[in-house]
Amino acid sequence: MAKSNDIAERGKQDLIIIHVFDAPRELVWKAWTDPEHFKRWWGPKDYTCPFCEMDLRVGGKYLNCMRSPEGREYWSTGVYREINPMERIVFTDCFADAQGNVVPAAQYGLSPDFPLEMLVEVTFEEQDGKTKMTLKHRGMPTGPDHEGAQQGWNESFDKLAESLK
Amino acid sequence: MRRDVFQAIADPNRRAIIGLLADQKLTLSGVAEHFDISRPAISKHIKILAQCGLVVVHRQGRESYCEARLEKLNEVSDWVEQYRKLWEQRFERLDGYLSELQKKERKHGEK
Repeated sequence: MAKSNDIAERGKQDLIIIHVFDAPRELVWKAWTDPEHFKRWWGPKDYTCPFCEMDLRVGGKYLNCMRSPEGREYWSTGVYREINPMERIVFTDCFADAQGNVVPAAQYGLSPDFPLEMLVEVTFEEQDGKTKMTLKHRGMPTGPDHEGAQQGWNESFDKLAESLK
Repeated sequence: MRRDVFQAIADPNRRAIIGLLADQKLTLSGVAEHFDISRPAISKHIKILAQCGLVVVHRQGRESYCEARLEKLNEVSDWVEQYRKLWEQRFERLDGYLSELQKKERKHGEK
């Protein structure tokens, strides 16, 4: 029983990353919200970001692309849910094609168990001239027969952990 | 239809079924005994759980036995791990970019 509880506990985690940038908050905010800055860091090492468009307002969409050194492109799109300049930005995150249509992760050769829609929440705090950024990334269950599209998985996992006790 | 682990556990009855099967193999009727909902409804939930890979159904003689496959839940943490790496690599680059920007700004200021 302990084992199954561990699994549920592990599974229910949201991805949370805290990172302190040695830069003022305005600059970090700009790096996140200005496409020209954004393109300079969005891909992992050796990747490029050849395309980035942002309609930076609540309900506005973005579309961007990461290109691997081998030339493979990964497009993402989403909608801004909350924009609080210098403080907080919340947006959905989906795999996409180059036209901005949402596609399942499986289309990129990733596990079909990747969620179709994810939510990214980023907050920025000033800390002695530096910027503490907290990023939360979580998947949202999707599909025709489920009730709470807005809920994260966390609630489901909490309940699952409960039922495994 | 697309089925995933997240969808499987979004339903309270399905969570309860996984919980029940976590420590024992049960027949369909064995599962149904624990619930107030109809047997066809239970079958439907089991079918969804099976499609998601969380439950396997073995036929043994006239009975179908349901067994939980909890390792499937690991895929959720795998998902999280892949993203953690991706974000960390991005932030490493952002670190570099921000210091580059600030150096430029300082130079500019000195002129």
